[in-house]
Amino acid sequence: MRHDWDVRTFTRAVLALVIVIAVTAAALRVGANAATVGFAYLITILGIAVWTNLATALVSSIVATGCYNFFFLPPVRTWTIQDPANWVALASFFVASLVATRLVVRARNEAQEAEARTKEISALYALSIDLFTATNRVGALGEAAARALANVGAGGGGLILFGSGPYDQRTISWSGPPQEEIEDLIAGIARHKATVELPAMTGRDVYLPLKIGGNIIGVLAARGTNATVRALESAATLVALAVERERFLAESAHMQALQEGDALKTSLLRAVSHDLATPLTAISLQIERLRTLIHDPSVEAISEETARLRRRIENLLAMARLEARSVVPRPEPAPAADLFRAAREHLPLIVESRPIEVRVAPDCPEVYVDPSIALEILINLIENAHQASPAGAPIELSAFRHPLQPDRVRLEVADRGRGIAAEASDTAHRGLGLEIARSLSTASGGQVTLANRQGGGAVARVDLLAAQLPAVDEVPA
Amino acid sequence: MSARILVVDDDETIRTTLAQNLRTHGFDVVGAADGAEAADRFATVRPDLVLTDLAMPRADGFELIQRIRSSSATPIVVLSVRGGDLDKVRALDLGADDYVTKPFSTPELLARVRAQLRRTGAASRSQFEFDDLSIDVERHRVIQGGREIHLTPTEFSILELLARHAGRPVSFDEIIASVWRGAPGTSNDAVRVHVGSARRKIEPDPSNPRYIVTEPWIGFRFIAEPLG
Repeated sequence: MRHDWDVRTFTRAVLALVIVIAVTAAALRVGANAATVGFAYLITILGIAVWTNLATALVSSIVATGCYNFFFLPPVRTWTIQDPANWVALASFFVASLVATRLVVRARNEAQEAEARTKEISALYALSIDLFTATNRVGALGEAAARALANVGAGGGGLILFGSGPYDQRTISWSGPPQEEIEDLIAGIARHKATVELPAMTGRDVYLPLKIGGNIIGVLAARGTNATVRALESAATLVALAVERERFLAESAHMQALQEGDALKTSLLRAVSHDLATPLTAISLQIERLRTLIHDPSVEAISEETARLRRRIENLLAMARLEARSVVPRPEPAPAADLFRAAREHLPLIVESRPIEVRVAPDCPEVYVDPSIALEILINLIENAHQASPAGAPIELSAFRHPLQPDRVRLEVADRGRGIAAEASDTAHRGLGLEIARSLSTASGGQVTLANRQGGGAVARVDLLAAQLPAVDEVPA
Repeated sequence: MSARILVVDDDETIRTTLAQNLRTHGFDVVGAADGAEAADRFATVRPDLVLTDLAMPRADGFELIQRIRSSSATPIVVLSVRGGDLDKVRALDLGADDYVTKPFSTPELLARVRAQLRRTGAASRSQFEFDDLSIDVERHRVIQGGREIHLTPTEFSILELLARHAGRPVSFDEIIASVWRGAPGTSNDAVRVHVGSARRKIEPDPSNPRYIVTEPWIGFRFIAEPLG
């Protein structure tokens, strides 16, 4: 391309000189006077300036000035000038032709530049329309990059996005000659956040960082392009925005799916919990009636197993509700004695079978917890203690302010059972109940720990937030 | 003459089992499968108490409570499901007197039912006698276990209100409206503090409260008949 350009310029320069000589010859033939010839030269030089470049126009004006002097200013056919007025005329001609040439060339260059910018801007506009109206589906980024590259006249290249670091590179699209060892180059661009230009067979290879909010999210490689850096950077900005847009689209689709999943889980849970609670209530009521009519150990066993089943189902539903976020914990100040009382009321069979000792310290603050979740936690721990304990051994429930963290309350469920194995947290032996108690505690901002007691048995400790109650006045009479 | 109870539930097994259990304990029972049928039955059989489910086809429990309350003060006990705390609050606001949570036990249900049937006439009384606790409204005296208890005026007002509604949950709003005369800015926590202080004075064993218990998210309940 550069070579073609030189040939054309040279041809034009020769033609310009031919024209100057032709004008001189014509003027000699018609015998025009000096003033007429001067104007003829000036117009010729202006024409050459419009048609060629600055250098050609300048050379032409020097040649014209020489011819003017040699052929038309007396004494003619000499390089000397007699009349000082003719010196003034010659100088005026020279200066006028130089100034006019410069002005014409500058005006023409500005017009050309403006035209190029208009083209660039309309191309970018077309690209932005392409990127932001045509691609509205996730995964269209490769297409977007290809459009951007075609737009800047690149012969090849592609889009590379970064994952967790500069070397975590994901090639979204690539066209043209295969990608060589450019991993380090791409990583360098991520680190230095600067455009890299390399010479190429045709045009140049330009590697443009894609910036979003000061972060480099990827690189647009435009190979064999002649576009200006400004045009390339604008295209890169548009591609970066397209990448960001695709990310938002993907995220919102994901969020929508999650929300729909949650709604489905919630309605399913509601249906399941109603469908399970109703027959269970009926079964429990029938069994209670049976117990009054038939005094038999097998009826007692059915009763106990039904109660266990009921508890398990309630547990699983409580966990599922928390997980489906259909129930957000609603904490409120709850006296520990009331939580223990409610737990005992829910476990009539255990209460009948062994002593349950309750001790709430006089200065124990109220617990800041969702009472229904606290109840589930306690019931599970008490059932665990019951299963681990020998018949008739008491279970002790106690509550007091946490000895080390005054903003916490500690609830304890202690048994005189076999204790826990030293080598493990022993969830296998303690089963699902402990796991559920742990999950529910975590959801309430608390924690459950299990330890062996002095004198045998285990103690489960639940640490929960203490309620902050206000100082109050008497109601005015 | 035995008390008559209207049992309303769309599940036939629960309805018949409840009816059997209640009849065993000497109640006269009438059943209805939904709110609309219950409203008709209510007008003809004039029950002493209504026991109703909330979720039902053809007029649900909430609608039934509204219909009954528009013409009668007959006690209403709601059968609610676990996790339906907002439903309980709504039912109480509409005029229900108490609730039991499914799955419930028969002794629990009987205690609630008896408390509601006994409650009639409590509004005008000035003397309350419970297990080891007597409250003399006119003299502002509380005797527990043979010893006189000194309550502040606020504590006494709350205890009197709870005792007047013994066996029924009394909401924070009701307590604030009655004791604080609805003074703006009175928080539930302020009520909790006064109730807590009253409980420390009247409960012989604060670890095992026998008179006043917390009703989560709703308020407090004075226990008319100790369970078990």
